[in-house]
Amino acid sequence: MAGSVIGEGLTIEGELTADEEVAVHGTVRGVLTTSGPVHIAAGGVVEADVSASSLTIGGQVTGNATARDRVDIQAGGRLIGDVKASRLTIADGASFKGSVDMDV
Amino acid sequence: MPSTSIIAQGTVVRGNIRGSGSIEIRGRVHGDVEVDGDVALGEQGGVEGNIRGAQLVIAGQVAGDLQGAEAVLLERGARVVGDLTAPRIGVAEGALVRGRVRTEGEPAAPRRAAVAAVRRVPEPVRLERPAPPPVAPAPVPAKAAAAPAPVAAAPAPASPERKKAPDTRSADRPPAPVVPALGKSVRGKKKKVSRA
Repeated sequence: MAGSVIGEGLTIEGELTADEEVAVHGTVRGVLTTSGPVHIAAGGVVEADVSASSLTIGGQVTGNATARDRVDIQAGGRLIGDVKASRLTIADGASFKGSVDMDV
Repeated sequence: MPSTSIIAQGTVVRGNIRGSGSIEIRGRVHGDVEVDGDVALGEQGGVEGNIRGAQLVIAGQVAGDLQGAEAVLLERGARVVGDLTAPRIGVAEGALVRGRVRTEGEPAAPRRAAVAAVRRVPEPVRLERPAPPPVAPAPVPAKAAAAPAPVAAAPAPASPERKKAPDTRSADRPPAPVVPALGKSVRGKKKKVSRA
């Protein structure tokens, strides 16, 4: 895995910009932007607007999620914010509060 | 995996990074980095801000202070503008530093002894090493007679623990006066006095 990893217990407060995959096991507050995919693991916390090629949410996200490709909210995942993506899946057991814009 | 964080090349963080675990920075950070684990800054990595961690291994660029609870090691190609503070500091050939350097703090005892051996006057250290063996057996018979002999001296006879004994002493300051007192002639007298 060549991308960035925000480990468990680590907190980034500010703006994170990447051109590769970003995996969040810890906490990001601010803005998270990457041209690659973003994985928010169970236990990961993102209080930021997220922009990525794809977004997988297994943890908690508070903020707007924008993905060029898709957004997947996994069971146990939690999203409070709006989603803008062409494809969206919400697994059984996921929490989501917000509106969806699928470029229809 | 979860306790090790990676800021990949091409990743830019504007803000502070703090928390537990270790971090490897190959990208850029504009802000402070503060972790309780180790920090590795890759050749292509750069940090504009202060870095605090247990052991910092720097091969990239830093504009800020480096503070290591254990060590700060600058590798070839490192460019640092800022102060270095750690119990152990290493600067490799080819590393550039502009700032103050202070070796201070309390690391693990054996490491400090190693630094002292390398950095400070080597002669007193040599005197110290032969000194413990004769001193060490002395307390043992003395102990049989007098009970309240120093506890630290008791483990000294075991060969691996000889090294530990002087460390604890150096932490307590006593070695400083002992070393100058150990002239060739004075040394013999001292032993006899201590035995009696």
